[in-house]
Amino acid sequence: MKFSLMKFILPAIFVFLAACSIAEAQDGSAFMQEKQIAVFKKYCYECHNSDAQEGSVDLETIPLEISKDIETAERWAKVLNAINSGEMPPEDAEQIPDRKKLDFLEELSGQMVLARKILSDSGGKITLRRLNQREYANTLEALIGVRPDTSDLPDDQASAGFDTEGASLFFSSDQLEQYLRTARRYLDIALNGSPKTKRKSKRRTKRVEPEETYTPHYRKYLRELKTKIANSKKYLASPDNPPKGLGILDAYQAKKQMKQAKEWSPQLEEYLARPETKTGATLILTIKGGGPTKIKLPVVGPTEFGRYKIRLRAAAYKDAPARFQYLEFTSGFGRTRNHMGWRKVRGTLKKPEIIEFEFDHLPGDRHQYMVHQRTHQDRGDKNLWTLNQKENGMGTPPGVWVDWAELIGPEPFNLSQRQEILFKKPKSWNEKKYATEVIRRFAANAFRGTKPTDAYIRKLVERFESARRDGDNFEKAIVEPLAIVLSSPSFLYMVESAGGKESLTAHELATRLSYFLWSTSPDQELAALAKSGKLSDPKVLRKQTERMIADPKFERFIDGFVYQWLEMERIDMFQSSGAQYPNFDNAIRANSREELFSMVRMLVKKKLPLKDLLRSDYVVINEVLADFYGIDGVEGHEFRKVDLPERSVRGGLLGTSAVHIMGSDGLRSSPVERGAWVLRHLLDNPPPPAPPNVPQLSRLDEEVLPVRKLQRAHQEQPQCAQCHQKIDPIGYGLENFDSTGAWREVELVSFGKSRFGRQNTKEFAIDTAGKLYNGRKFSNFSELRNAIAEHEDDFARGFSKSLIAYGLGRPYGFTDEALSKEILQQAVKRKYDINEFIHALVQSKTFTTK
Amino acid sequence: MTNSRRTFLRSATSAVALPFLPSLGLTAAAAPVARGVVNPLAPPPKRLVFLGIGFGVTADRWYPDVDREGAKYKLPKLLKPLTRHKDDITIIQNLMHQYSADGHAGSTFWLTGANRYAVPGQNFHNTISVDQVAAEVLGNDTRFTSVQLTAKDAKSDGHGPGLSLAWNRSGKPIAGLDTPVAAFHRMFSNDTTPLKQRQKILNDQRSVLDAVLSDAKAINRKLDKSDSEKLDEYFQSVREIEIRLAKEEKWLAVDKKKPSKPLSEPGDLEGVEEIRMMYDLMVAAMQVDASRVFTYRMPANRMIQSLGATMSAHTMSHFSEGERRTVSQKRDTAHAKLLAEFFDKLKKSKEPDGSSLFDHCSITFGTNLSSVHTLKNCPTLIAGGGSGFKHGRHLVMDNPKTPLCNLWLSTLRGSGIAAESFGDATGVIDELFEA
Repeated sequence: MKFSLMKFILPAIFVFLAACSIAEAQDGSAFMQEKQIAVFKKYCYECHNSDAQEGSVDLETIPLEISKDIETAERWAKVLNAINSGEMPPEDAEQIPDRKKLDFLEELSGQMVLARKILSDSGGKITLRRLNQREYANTLEALIGVRPDTSDLPDDQASAGFDTEGASLFFSSDQLEQYLRTARRYLDIALNGSPKTKRKSKRRTKRVEPEETYTPHYRKYLRELKTKIANSKKYLASPDNPPKGLGILDAYQAKKQMKQAKEWSPQLEEYLARPETKTGATLILTIKGGGPTKIKLPVVGPTEFGRYKIRLRAAAYKDAPARFQYLEFTSGFGRTRNHMGWRKVRGTLKKPEIIEFEFDHLPGDRHQYMVHQRTHQDRGDKNLWTLNQKENGMGTPPGVWVDWAELIGPEPFNLSQRQEILFKKPKSWNEKKYATEVIRRFAANAFRGTKPTDAYIRKLVERFESARRDGDNFEKAIVEPLAIVLSSPSFLYMVESAGGKESLTAHELATRLSYFLWSTSPDQELAALAKSGKLSDPKVLRKQTERMIADPKFERFIDGFVYQWLEMERIDMFQSSGAQYPNFDNAIRANSREELFSMVRMLVKKKLPLKDLLRSDYVVINEVLADFYGIDGVEGHEFRKVDLPERSVRGGLLGTSAVHIMGSDGLRSSPVERGAWVLRHLLDNPPPPAPPNVPQLSRLDEEVLPVRKLQRAHQEQPQCAQCHQKIDPIGYGLENFDSTGAWREVELVSFGKSRFGRQNTKEFAIDTAGKLYNGRKFSNFSELRNAIAEHEDDFARGFSKSLIAYGLGRPYGFTDEALSKEILQQAVKRKYDINEFIHALVQSKTFTTK
Repeated sequence: MTNSRRTFLRSATSAVALPFLPSLGLTAAAAPVARGVVNPLAPPPKRLVFLGIGFGVTADRWYPDVDREGAKYKLPKLLKPLTRHKDDITIIQNLMHQYSADGHAGSTFWLTGANRYAVPGQNFHNTISVDQVAAEVLGNDTRFTSVQLTAKDAKSDGHGPGLSLAWNRSGKPIAGLDTPVAAFHRMFSNDTTPLKQRQKILNDQRSVLDAVLSDAKAINRKLDKSDSEKLDEYFQSVREIEIRLAKEEKWLAVDKKKPSKPLSEPGDLEGVEEIRMMYDLMVAAMQVDASRVFTYRMPANRMIQSLGATMSAHTMSHFSEGERRTVSQKRDTAHAKLLAEFFDKLKKSKEPDGSSLFDHCSITFGTNLSSVHTLKNCPTLIAGGGSGFKHGRHLVMDNPKTPLCNLWLSTLRGSGIAAESFGDATGVIDELFEA
């Protein structure tokens, strides 16, 4: 039993073409070359021939065509892995010389990637696609006007690849029941108002004066601290016979609480002495007095959904560090807080400003909305407060003061769908006829152009009648049949009836296009063009595509595609120590993520060349990131194009904090992750994935070493070197970015015991010099970025492959190479404008046929 | 396999004499006539429990010293709380799944051993899990064929894709009850709805299935072969619900047994308390014979947070010296403590013949990840007398790549389930049955 490597290889090759260095077999098969077989014969056959078959492994009969079938590929994978892991040849046998071993492994791992690609090719087949979690929520919202909470449904992104890939979107009995439950719940809300009452919540304004809570609270807290000091003093005055009733166990506790109370009180004394805390609240943080000062707005319940606005009057303390001159808006119930957004405060105590923040409160949610200072994950803020206190005696200085805050709302959502679903009943119709027609129209709409059968409608009407007999009113009784519609396969699956290579029907094309660009069902205009058949006209199709890209719903493409294309889930994979990286907080993490979306959005909107993602003289940021990057003159939370000064390290994906956060483990940068990411996503030259069961470097080595030294082990053995010589140098070239994406001139390595989340650090010089594999030399980041920017064509090719996989809902395969070329030929004419990629794909024969 | 081994297994299997159902044999469920009436002479039923922890253990301190095999091994310090059960547990080293390679998926293939990429053109494939194979046999006479427990927000707990530890015959995930409250209500809450009304609810549910099936059949006619195969998942789901409804109907009129200690609805528990309550609920469910097959995909994030950690479980799993390691070790010991309490309760619960639930239970505790992102030497701790294993030992398999499926096959056969094979098993683990 040996470990098989290929499972690791697949996710990458499903989407990306094999490494350029691999000699691609033109006849579509992966072979081991004769030259390599000689190595094999010399070092393996002695034990693993057909007679001896040691360990039941017979290598004499193993077919040389690796891609022959899955079984053969598995056998070769075991060979690869056995040599890779150093398990074979065994220690007491003759070893393969390094140079030969390196060649052999490089050849075999390359051919393995190719073989997997061949074997995983779907042959152009697009499997029947179920709506994924995102698409289901969007489609339901479009139909009934209420956005459902789908967190109970399986997260389709968890199964790797793109979440549009039909073959991987499974269905289970639990899911069917969840669909029914979800549909019933939200139909009830949509048709009958709120789940509990029919009464629409009235819009109102509730004002919170934070000083009413916080001034007495902090006064009381300070009094408690003073009492503790006094009691401790009394105790320590006669520790052998202390007075009773002090609530102190022993001298240790007395000393400790006195020390803490003495550390904690000055901040509170200063707080209460501030005149502005008579009329408002200064946002501070206390260790045991409730954490950060939070402006708590009234709880909004599940029935009070709609659009809300938080309006508040605030001022910033201009001497505070920039990071503190912000407000953080969060939602949640209980301990979990979701970050909704951040606003910089520019008003002063003399001239406070009014800040407004709008958000949607969805049906079924119960949230308490809060406003407070920017936070870190983990215990970062409290650790920082303590560290600051040690320095300044006061703790973290406050940055913002809030006079009052109001919660205004709800502004009811536009529930126009209700009128459409329950259209006006013609006088002459009886109830049954009306119900039948309501159900029929809803089903036809939900089925995106497929006509529901009469037998089906009859069964649904029976459900309605049964509910009426049980005493439900019309609006209640109609919920069940409609919920069944929303759990039926014609709704849940994108049914494309034409088998073989026939053209899609106009409705099917509209559906495919709509889910590609909007992740939802076609709107009325698109549906009408499908109905009239005009959509099949390439000119009309192009116009529609343009319209759809310009529509706000295109945002869903940006979110869905970009996130998966660039593997952005890594942004949230690791926590970072707030004490170690004070500037990297929840705001930076969230806005870094948003920056990548904003960059791509900008490229599409302004029809800019794709290569701007490799290098550009501008960034797309907001004020939060401008502060983090140290770029002046950016005001406001909206992302916008900002020109960079010459020689800036920002600009392009490699200049974003997001990419460097993804290439770190929360503590340190990882040149391997970063290098592999660049090869996969920028150079379209994915390395074979790491073999499983390789021990982690940080555990191997307890010495305090710079990362480049730590990874020298990669170069020592040929089985590691064969991949790492391509990967690591790129990562080293990016070493000027720390694990949060901030620029650094030296590498700080932390070691030893952590004190309030901060360890000791040792400083090391950074060596960024290196060379792209079979490519250009570079000595620093800027040269590396230039070298990568020369690979515009490779980058575009990789992009086209991802777009094809996402848009068609199946893994990119050999059969798609012609399509990729066709798309690139068209897109290159417009400097690889993303719009042109989309048009070329949409107009292609593959997209318009089953 | 030696001859005596075979004889032994055959006799062990025939002694229990349970039918082996090759596929979804649930329709064959016997009518629950004698429910509640326990025949004191019948041997107590066999039960299986699988406990998956997601991210791996602190490997260098969790496993016993490899040089000390057998009964004389020293229980590692991290597992100290299990000392009083040392004679009734076995720790096995060198088990693994040859096909597992996802370093963040401790549960997805743990009970299946499947090759994720076995089906061309598909990037995710799984097969039936060992508990479900067992449930097809052991689940016929109980109200619940099997019980799946899981935890909220398990996504980042190192379990990987899936909804619980269980995967059905088609390799599709089976959902789990994600809070003690939900588990309590499903298994124990007293349904006071009148019988007639409950019957009507069942009938209504059938009509719903009937309606969606009518649409499924209509579109199925338009689909080509492979799309039709995809849609088959939908048909399969409908069939599964039908089977469940049929079972519920049979149980409608049957009085439910009450657990020995009356249970009250659990509160909103998190982490350690949540796990403890889930263990209690399993014990109670066994006492009333509500089910005989249990899986529990346990919380990791919430568990370490309830132990005072503020980092995420994933961060912890990359344990380096310092805080990350401390949290990881604390978690290991807390698990050992909870497990020891679980065993105490199972030992205290008596069957009519005087033996204990523990004597007839096979409990497996572990995950597919040993530590960090390593997938070999899966941490495996087994306990209970249900499979006839000889416990109190530390087994180190000679072959460092012994299929974990060999343990699953051993567990099945030992529990009287005549499984021919399971996953990539090459046989049973003989050592388990040898004194």
